[in-house]
Amino acid sequence: MSVVQDPFSLSGKRVLVTGASSGIGRQIAITCSQMGAQVVISGRNPERLQATAAALHGEGHIAITADLSQQEGIDQLVAVSDTLHGVVHAAGISKLVPFRLINKQHLTDIFDSNTFAPMLLTRGLLAKKRIAQNGSILFISALSSHSGALATSAYAASKSALLGAMRSLALEIAKQGMRVNCIAPGYVHTPMLDGLGQGGGNMDALFDLTPLGMGEPEDVAYASVFYLADASRWITRNYFILDGGLSTPMDIYA
Amino acid sequence: MVTGASSGLGQHIAIRFAQRGARLIITGRDKSRLQTTYDQLKGEGHVQVTANLTIAEERTFLAKSASNLNGLVHCAGIQKHCPIRQLSEQLMTEMYQVNFLAPVMLTQSLLQANAIAQQGSILFMLSTAAHIGTRGLGPYSAMKSGLIGIIKCLALEQAKRKIRVNGISPSVIATPMWDVHQELLTQQKARHPLGLGTLDDVANGAIYMLSDASRWVTGTSLVMDGGAVI
Ligand SMILES: NC(=O)c1ccc[n+]([C@@H]2O[C@H](COP(=O)([O-])OP(=O)(O)OC[C@H]3O[C@@H](n4cnc5c(N)ncnc54)[C@H](OP(=O)(O)O)[C@@H]3O)[C@@H](O)[C@H]2O)c1
Ligand SMILES: NC(=O)c1ccc[n+]([C@@H]2O[C@H](COP(=O)([O-])OP(=O)(O)OC[C@H]3O[C@@H](n4cnc5c(N)ncnc54)[C@H](OP(=O)(O)O)[C@@H]3O)[C@@H](O)[C@H]2O)c1
Repeated sequence: MSVVQDPFSLSGKRVLVTGASSGIGRQIAITCSQMGAQVVISGRNPERLQATAAALHGEGHIAITADLSQQEGIDQLVAVSDTLHGVVHAAGISKLVPFRLINKQHLTDIFDSNTFAPMLLTRGLLAKKRIAQNGSILFISALSSHSGALATSAYAASKSALLGAMRSLALEIAKQGMRVNCIAPGYVHTPMLDGLGQGGGNMDALFDLTPLGMGEPEDVAYASVFYLADASRWITRNYFILDGGLSTPMDIYA
Repeated sequence: MVTGASSGLGQHIAIRFAQRGARLIITGRDKSRLQTTYDQLKGEGHVQVTANLTIAEERTFLAKSASNLNGLVHCAGIQKHCPIRQLSEQLMTEMYQVNFLAPVMLTQSLLQANAIAQQGSILFMLSTAAHIGTRGLGPYSAMKSGLIGIIKCLALEQAKRKIRVNGISPSVIATPMWDVHQELLTQQKARHPLGLGTLDDVANGAIYMLSDASRWVTGTSLVMDGGAVI
């Protein structure tokens, strides 16, 4: 195995990670750099994005502040991205809102960041031929898209939309050997979940439901490395549930 | 422990696991083919046990050879095409014994003997046939999706010991299993946007599912099918 590259390594690959200024995206960027990738990281908050940049291993990484709910932000990111071998869409927002309080503004906000941003960014990258042959695209969806926890209608809808988008996109880009998949995490320890707890959700009781306990950002990062690496070169159009067993007793497919 | 290690996927998984540093117990029915696998295992301390897993005594014998397993991969299995209208009780029984009863009861024996270590990973070789309908594959499909029920219940039962239980579901890989179905194999190629898979593709998926990198993955299955469409 000395001459042949380890199929789990990311060395020689450039990977774009959105949402890299916090939580899951931050850890994906760090772990990718540990696995040898050069990363392009993006987020809105410049200080926190810089903190992630400082934690990366190796050289040649780029950090770009951009709000992906705006077309300018997307264009900016597309412009600076050189040929990419992997893209991880980890940017996203979440807010607990009971259905009767949903309005157009809330739906627009959630869909702008969670659904339209990853779709339009992918479109921009493909249009400018920024993604290499055999490149791997990964959407971080959420188990909510299947499980639909209380007061998450807009969020769940925004995340399930990614499933359909991914399935169709996979067919369109297979000719170029490109792949696209979704990872659907259950409850992961991140600032996003801390935020939901402060919003009045009784989160502790929910976390206890996970058979293996809550996940760590590393767990999503390890799965992402597998989906970006050549080790998964035959996997596309796939929706991978990563939830410590949370959905195991649920009738999510029924 | 890797079952079905005398041929195809199980053989290749065993060889790749050894290359990544695992110590293995390999098992199969055919002594000389199992020996061929054994000879290709890198590193020291591997064990081979010939056993027909449909026979209870042989399963018990195999289970006794193991202690403190960090991983268990059930690859032994057979595939037979048979439209349900032509199904015989004999064929259905064989399918049940090899593809369902054997892996379930082997797991039972190992758990009963406390032979699976905390945080261990149990992986059942399913097939995309566990999730989709395929003409002529009813008996096979049924046994593979039956295993999904076992996977989900066992994942919950063993979570307190952090033992993980999952499936891996490849569509079509050219192995000796397909030797008698060459025509079907060609048809299959056409519906895979990324082409047919290789033994390495499945071994790499199994490496992820067995390693600590997937310590939070349980009760689910890793589908690998090159984006296959109908
Ligand atoms: N935590 C969980 O339990 C969980 C479970 C399932 C799925 N997920 C998904 O995993 C992803 C990451 O979540 P997390 O828990 O790590 O959340 P987080 O800590 O709140 O981080 C979210 C990240 O997304 C960025 N972001 C949000 N909206 C953006 C926009 N319009 N433009 C650019 N960047 C934007 C944020 O940037 P700034 O901070 O710089 O503004 C931040 O880097 C999300 O898609 C989330 O839905 C999380
Ligand atoms: N190849 C594919 O396209 C594909 C796709 C999806 C899933 N699968 C699954 O992958 C697994 C392995 O298939 P393969 O393609 O590698 O087939 P294979 O080359 O025919 O190997 C089958 C293995 O199972 C062993 N086996 C069969 N019956 C047994 C019994 N009663 N007791 C003990 N061992 C027994 C065989 O042992 P001996 O040779 O020593 O008798 C052999 O090692 C099966 O579960 C199959 O359903 C295969």
